[in-house]
Amino acid sequence: MNVPASWYLILAAVLFGIGAFGLLTRRSALIMFMCIELMLNAVNLTFVTFARTLSDIGGQATVFFVMVVAAAEVTVGLGIVVAVFRRRSSTSVDELSELKG
Amino acid sequence: MDQYLPILGLLLLGVLFASGSLVASAWLAPHKRPTDAKLAPYECGIVPESEPPQRFPVRFYLVAMIFVIFDIEVVFMYPFAVVFRQLHVFGLIEILTFSLTVFAALVFLVSEGALQWGPVKYLTPGMPERTSSSTIVRIGRDDPEQAA
Amino acid sequence: MTTVPVVSSSITIPSIHYLAILPVIILLGASVVLVFATALVRTKVTQFVASSVTVAASVAVLVVTYFQWRCLDSSGPSTTIAHAIVLDGFSVVATGVVAVSLLMATLVAHDWALRERIVGAEYQILALAASAGAVLMTQANDLVVIFLGLEILSLGLYVLVAFDRHRHTSAEAALKYFLLGGFASAIFIYGAALVYGATGSTNLSTMSYFLASNVLTHPGLLYAGFALLIVGFSFKIAAVPFHLWSPDVYEGAPTPVTGFMASIVKVGAFAAFVRVLISALGTQIDTWRPILWVLVVLTTVVGASVALLQRNAKRMLAYSSINHAGFILLGIWAGTTRGVASTLFYIVTYAPTVVATFAVVTLVGGLGDENHSIGGYRGLARRQPWLGASMCVLLLSQLGAPLTSGFYAKYSVLASTIDVGGSPLALIALLSAAIAACFYLRWSSALYSDEPVEATRIVVPLSTGIVIGVGVAMTLVFGIWPGPLVTLCQHATLLFTP
Repeated sequence: MNVPASWYLILAAVLFGIGAFGLLTRRSALIMFMCIELMLNAVNLTFVTFARTLSDIGGQATVFFVMVVAAAEVTVGLGIVVAVFRRRSSTSVDELSELKG
Repeated sequence: MDQYLPILGLLLLGVLFASGSLVASAWLAPHKRPTDAKLAPYECGIVPESEPPQRFPVRFYLVAMIFVIFDIEVVFMYPFAVVFRQLHVFGLIEILTFSLTVFAALVFLVSEGALQWGPVKYLTPGMPERTSSSTIVRIGRDDPEQAA
Repeated sequence: MTTVPVVSSSITIPSIHYLAILPVIILLGASVVLVFATALVRTKVTQFVASSVTVAASVAVLVVTYFQWRCLDSSGPSTTIAHAIVLDGFSVVATGVVAVSLLMATLVAHDWALRERIVGAEYQILALAASAGAVLMTQANDLVVIFLGLEILSLGLYVLVAFDRHRHTSAEAALKYFLLGGFASAIFIYGAALVYGATGSTNLSTMSYFLASNVLTHPGLLYAGFALLIVGFSFKIAAVPFHLWSPDVYEGAPTPVTGFMASIVKVGAFAAFVRVLISALGTQIDTWRPILWVLVVLTTVVGASVALLQRNAKRMLAYSSINHAGFILLGIWAGTTRGVASTLFYIVTYAPTVVATFAVVTLVGGLGDENHSIGGYRGLARRQPWLGASMCVLLLSQLGAPLTSGFYAKYSVLASTIDVGGSPLALIALLSAAIAACFYLRWSSALYSDEPVEATRIVVPLSTGIVIGVGVAMTLVFGIWPGPLVTLCQHATLLFTP
């Protein structure tokens, strides 16, 4: 069975859209992280799909870098969240709603 | 079909190892019937009446974060391993430089005590202390008659 | 169905021009050395040692840029590491600016760390790494390398913003910066992915050749891609309407970090922005110009008018920097060689000015970094003539007053805009400068107000004093005698122009 490349691209675009929408509407910092991760993974899917249609290994190599950046972002982000929550001595993410910009 | 043989072998090996471990542990372990007391989270003390609170200490997140970083570094090791022979000395120097940088992070973490487990009060001096009075108050509020 | 090519048995290792990547190596190397020192030395690394290493690294980078410039003179601009890194006049000058910003910001942060009793070398480690990211962005000739530089820069800054443990706002500002910065990065890299799909490469020069030699039948993918790239960059440079994070982060971050951030992010992000729009998408100028037109108008006008309402010095400077971002965008909008040169001149003069301005703000902020109302500046020049006069000069330079570097910077971007028929745009920008003049002048006159104010004398530590002095000197020298710097910026051209 042969799935056309455009399906993957549309899936990636939808995933990216869900991520962006979630980031803009959700009030919880942790869910906003997940949305950023979702967006980055949609980007990975796009890169891999294009690498395949273009027969270019470069797109696949890029995915490695994006993955590493995503991991680094998660670490720094969680570190900041922990720093904020320690100060408030509570893990309730609802209290962060003041911060939303 | 031939090219899938190693995968089949690996699958077989995995199943064998998993079942083997289960059988071995059942066979070798001392046979003792579990009792209610043994299944309780604490073998002595007050019998818990509700589920323990689902809150993890911050340290779990810290370790998870550290794990994620070092886990993802391996992503670069795999492509390197594939083309290791073609890259000659240059590749070796590159990967050593890369590993050195990652190692610097590890050494830093160890020196900061991020990988030490133990009583929380030694690790994070900034945390609010749990004193005996706060604990007594809590038990007393939960069930005054039992506490008395 | 096409198949992915299998890795061939022989790999050609790309040639590496070590002189080109030496600045990045020095900065990252110094950072790693400090990490090892922090971990292995039994006693805490003192601020003096950490700052000395950082200063030495930035001086070394400045020396390297001198040799890079000489190399350019003899053998011309070049690309290296499979065309991913470029060595041209633009990158060399921008690298120099990053090094100067790092040097000045480190000296300010040194005194700040002593004042706030911060121990350890973490600040310097992160500042060095962030600078390496900025340098990488100025040299990048590939969207992926730009992305990596952007992330190295941003990740370092997220942590630096959260560095002040005594104030609630610091960590909250960091969280806000992180969430919006991560969003911007994701948008940027998605744009890169779409452009890659449309042109078949993430390399800027390959992209440029492809676009020059082919006519796309379905340009939708490409347009969507570079619209996303522009949005991503706009977030980073805080162009309106993507500026919402900037005032809060400027206010929440420790003041020396704010100064560092204001200079270094502008240098890195604008250098990469210029390269993407002019080098890679130069053939599409008619498509991206209208987008930039709207951005410039919104950024200059909103930045200047909202700044008028602010009562907090750091917030006001944040909106002022938004206004400046609009002006820098003007040079890119022009899209000509002259426009690029004027953008570079603007960045070169703006970076030291803003670091020195925040150095004064750091001193006035006092212990705890809390005292940032404009009222705190009342009569400063009466009590301490030198400090007050320096602040006055720095503010006037940001205003664009004659005899300061800000004047020629504004003049050159406006002139390059008018050159290509952008008179209405130049007029709007000039109008915003007039609005901005109100708050700069209000602030400057507060410095010289006669009202007796209960205030303690501000102690000016040596290295912060040097930074303020150097900042003022650069502002005045380049303002009175801009000739050599203008020539330098005109010679510092991009390697690839359409």
